[in-house]
Amino acid sequence: MNKYRVKGRGRVDTSTPVTFTFDGKSYTGFKGDTVASALLASGTHLMGRSFKYHRPRGPVAAGSEEPNALIGTRRGPGRFEPNTRATVQEIWDGLKTTSQNKFPSLKWDVGAVNDAAYMMFSAGFYYKTFMWPRSFWDKVYEPFIRAAAGLGVAPSEEDPDTYASRNLHCDVLIVGAGPTGIAAARTAAGKGLSVVLVDENTEMGGTLLSEPNMDIDNIPAWDWLAAELASLEAAGVKMMTRTTAIGYYHQNFIGMVEKLTDHLPNLPADTPRERMWHVRAKHVVLAQGALEKPLIFHGNDRPGIMLAGSAQTYLNRYGVKVGTVPAVVTSHDSAWYAAFDLHDAGAAVQVIVDTRSNVPEALRDAAKSRNISIKINHTVTATSGRLRIKRVRINPVTDGNVGRGEWINCDALLMSGGWTPSLHLFSHTKGSLDWNDDLSTFLPKDTPEDCVIAGASRGLWGIETVLADGAARAAASLAKLGVSADPQSYTVTHDRTGSGETMRELPTDKSAGKAKAFVDYQNDVTAKDLRLAVREGMRSIEHVKRYTTNGMATDQGKMSNINGLNIAADALGKKQPEVGLTTFRPPYTPTTFGAFAGYHRGDHFEVERKTQIDSWASEEGAVFEPVGQWRRARYFPQAGEDMDAAVRRECAATRAGVGMFDASTLGKVEVVGPDAVEFMNRMYTNPWTKLANGRCRYGLLLGDDGYIIDDGVIGRMSQDRFHVTTTTGGAARVLNMMEDYLQTEWPDLNVWLTSTTEQWSTIALNGPNAAKLLQPFVEDTLLTEDVFPHMSCKECTVAGLPARLFRVSFTGEIGFEINVPAHYGRTLWEQLWSAGQDLGITAYGTETMHVLRAEKGYIIIGQDTDGTVTPYDCAMGWAIGKKKPDFVGMRGLARPDLQDPNRKQLVGLLTDDQSKLEEGAQIVFDPDQPIPMTMVGHVTSSYDCGTTDRPIAMALVQGGHAKMGEKVYIPMSDRTISATITETVFVDPDNSRLKIQPQV
Amino acid sequence: MSKQISYLSASTLIATPEAQITIAAPRGRLSLRLRKGLTACDKALGVKLPRTIGARSEKNGIEVVCLGPDEWTIVTDLDRVAGIQSALASIYPDHPHALTDITLRELSFVIAGKSAMELLTIGCARDLASFEIGSARRILFDVATTTLWRDGENTFRLDVWNSFVPFIAQTLITGTKEITAEQAARATTT
Repeated sequence: MNKYRVKGRGRVDTSTPVTFTFDGKSYTGFKGDTVASALLASGTHLMGRSFKYHRPRGPVAAGSEEPNALIGTRRGPGRFEPNTRATVQEIWDGLKTTSQNKFPSLKWDVGAVNDAAYMMFSAGFYYKTFMWPRSFWDKVYEPFIRAAAGLGVAPSEEDPDTYASRNLHCDVLIVGAGPTGIAAARTAAGKGLSVVLVDENTEMGGTLLSEPNMDIDNIPAWDWLAAELASLEAAGVKMMTRTTAIGYYHQNFIGMVEKLTDHLPNLPADTPRERMWHVRAKHVVLAQGALEKPLIFHGNDRPGIMLAGSAQTYLNRYGVKVGTVPAVVTSHDSAWYAAFDLHDAGAAVQVIVDTRSNVPEALRDAAKSRNISIKINHTVTATSGRLRIKRVRINPVTDGNVGRGEWINCDALLMSGGWTPSLHLFSHTKGSLDWNDDLSTFLPKDTPEDCVIAGASRGLWGIETVLADGAARAAASLAKLGVSADPQSYTVTHDRTGSGETMRELPTDKSAGKAKAFVDYQNDVTAKDLRLAVREGMRSIEHVKRYTTNGMATDQGKMSNINGLNIAADALGKKQPEVGLTTFRPPYTPTTFGAFAGYHRGDHFEVERKTQIDSWASEEGAVFEPVGQWRRARYFPQAGEDMDAAVRRECAATRAGVGMFDASTLGKVEVVGPDAVEFMNRMYTNPWTKLANGRCRYGLLLGDDGYIIDDGVIGRMSQDRFHVTTTTGGAARVLNMMEDYLQTEWPDLNVWLTSTTEQWSTIALNGPNAAKLLQPFVEDTLLTEDVFPHMSCKECTVAGLPARLFRVSFTGEIGFEINVPAHYGRTLWEQLWSAGQDLGITAYGTETMHVLRAEKGYIIIGQDTDGTVTPYDCAMGWAIGKKKPDFVGMRGLARPDLQDPNRKQLVGLLTDDQSKLEEGAQIVFDPDQPIPMTMVGHVTSSYDCGTTDRPIAMALVQGGHAKMGEKVYIPMSDRTISATITETVFVDPDNSRLKIQPQV
Repeated sequence: MSKQISYLSASTLIATPEAQITIAAPRGRLSLRLRKGLTACDKALGVKLPRTIGARSEKNGIEVVCLGPDEWTIVTDLDRVAGIQSALASIYPDHPHALTDITLRELSFVIAGKSAMELLTIGCARDLASFEIGSARRILFDVATTTLWRDGENTFRLDVWNSFVPFIAQTLITGTKEITAEQAARATTT
């Protein structure tokens, strides 16, 4: 053991040495050490460089609030994490860690030149420095800011770890397992309630882990703790360590992140790295404790300067003296105890400097009995030591006057500016706060959630007090759950109660304007930055914060917020609550993206719905595209074919023989009931009353505003039963809209809707040979023009399967859609495929479907419409039931601007030079007008792989329907293309191809 | 994610000491919707429609769950679907309702084992402990709208639409492995 490790102290397992590296150098600590405690045990305080000035920094705290000691951790390929707090990361054999923000080395860093130029980097320097000249922005300033911004190096490899999530319901959730939380858990345990106790640390106990010297109920604190935790576990309390409650959301919904493997030398199989818990608690007890504040003085950031309470934690929890000749500066009693503990562990405490004039007699006596020098009414005005503190300069203060300075040698400086209640989660609840003048801090007041806050997090001090408060507050929670509890009382001997004063910058005899007195260590914000911000006109703390970036780093100002507020309030000459407090937002501590993503990453990122026929397409080498949540075969390339070649072949084969298409993804809704036809009349634009059973019709669905939102073919299977189809992407939206109308507007209608999208596999056959191919499979229907004409539908048997057969066409060819029960889709597909070989069968995908329909002028919702297109704009007035009293969108359509003849209307376009237009290209009437030109529309669909021997396009053009034959122009980056407006039907305008020719 | 699922026969996806996930063989399923005439329906069906949401009833091989104020799902053998359809068709003129065959719209995962309930918490936000044995609910499980049936202390059925099945299967398999590893680790530390 070296001179910093104290034998007999701490909770680390000294029988199990652990070796890890920091910046390539090997270090040995013990099981239970953090990177910080192990490095401190070897005398290393320097662990990083600061963000802006690249000043050498060491840990200032011992927990998750640490702003300085941020390191990179690595565990083999892909497993690198920047900005890990060295005070939290447990060591394991083989862990590799690196310092950050340095070049070429941590001890010698060129970026530290910023420190010398600190006057340039004052508050608001981003806003001032980079304003001029404007031309410098792109090439100089922005690259500089981007290079300088950010902490650590973003990982460049894909994260190989897995992440998980679970839901958890409980009666009482207790956040924080210090004395307050443990007493709360004791009160709630054993009463038949589900109780969860959660703590972010490796082990439970909170402050008790750093304060072993008291007795609770006459039992030494650590024995009491062990017994209490065992008893809570036995009573069925769910105990969760390494788990941080990161956010408190509406209605007692709490997010918690559990770290499962970061502390393990070997990664266990099938075990996620982290798990996000979604907790719904009936009642929550917040017992997050308090965080110590630094003191603000020139040079308060050197390695070796740390919070007194944290030094106490390193000593008592990890068995590490942070220095052998430490000095102490404080405005709170608690730091005196830290000095005593260090002294008692063999450190030669050089001096206790207290800024106050009144310090309890008992403390002074205790210091004197240890021969520790006491400086009451003193201040600290400077420190020295490049990579670690070597000396501290202290001065007496008399009536506000700072006397002569005296340098004292030390190898650590412990400071305490008092304690700030941890109100983060309470603030997430939108809880209101009260300013407390005595404590110079905000205390929790009311919260709209079912939640209480207890112990040090509401400003209480002393173990006995917080034990009692934890028990009492939990009892109050239980009462709200209708459970009575007698809060247990506790007796604590050697309890270290105390109080303190709140300071702003410590008084100094030096120029305050040159002081590097840090308030926010992580963002390098000094006290003078805050005062400058006020001088430059910032009045609200929200503005001061943004101008200086105080409290905006990843530690969310856990140390800096209250100090910053006190200084800003003083500069403004106002009370703190008048200046305000910035809002705490989740997450409480930095959280990995992996924890939020959970299982949804890689090939499990998002559901990809597949049809029953998808596997066939996959085996055939189809290229797929996503459509809504579905993946659909886009085209089926043969050897050597690109998309255009494949689509050209598929189109030609379909028009020449027969094409087969998987249409299973189309949305399907079964509309059933005596009022089904009335419902259809009200919902869709078309008239349905006269549609005979066994017939189908193209239906158009509008929004209230009169714009097209969906379409599809609808079959009347029987008097009271419609088989409605929707677009693939619109299925859920259309069903929801229908349900919405049904439940809120027309609850009197006797009709019900059932989604049957997935009940059916749907195969579309199109082409002159479609009927010939299908006929042998259909047992009870003749597929002739007489018996089963275009737009017929029928329940029948196809290939021995119960089927719904539709005679419809989205290509202009003879077309059928065969619906069979979902799981038989592929079987039927394969039978048709094999039977179709002699008839020139071709499987085609969505791209060919798009081309063939465009050749017939059929619209695609969302491509040729964009939510601002009416049926009249598409020349589909024929789809509107003019005699109907009402339908969704009828009133909208009557608006004058929807009847304007100059609206953008859907037309065909043929380019004069036979080139293919770009979809989305803008259209103008006059290509010679000055820029910016008046744009009169855009191209919605454009193809040159079809059967028309020339490219075709559809476009929305202002007043287009009255401009047949006229020219429009499409300016592109390299030239302007001229095109002629045409009708939208490019193939077979009289629909002769739809007819089944009699068999000869 | 591309977990290949056999839709037409029962199969086991994963079985560990903690949880066993199987795909059940297809069953006949019908969605029944009606507001009035419940008693007539009870009679035609031969089993009483449960009157509260989440409640189930079963008789003569016909199982019915109430999923909404006017919504029931009927589950039975495949060859009994047609019989139920004609029985209910006979009362349609006097008691209008909607009966829709959804037999092959979805399939059922059977999730059993001592950690079955814990496993379901990875995708289900509802409090499963308050979920009585012999009831069923429509729930969001992971990314899919599903129906969850609690058949026993540690036995559940999860009805999932076909196209969501491979994704949900993968979620359940990942979760089963995770919980199995977790319990094994717990056993070695205690």
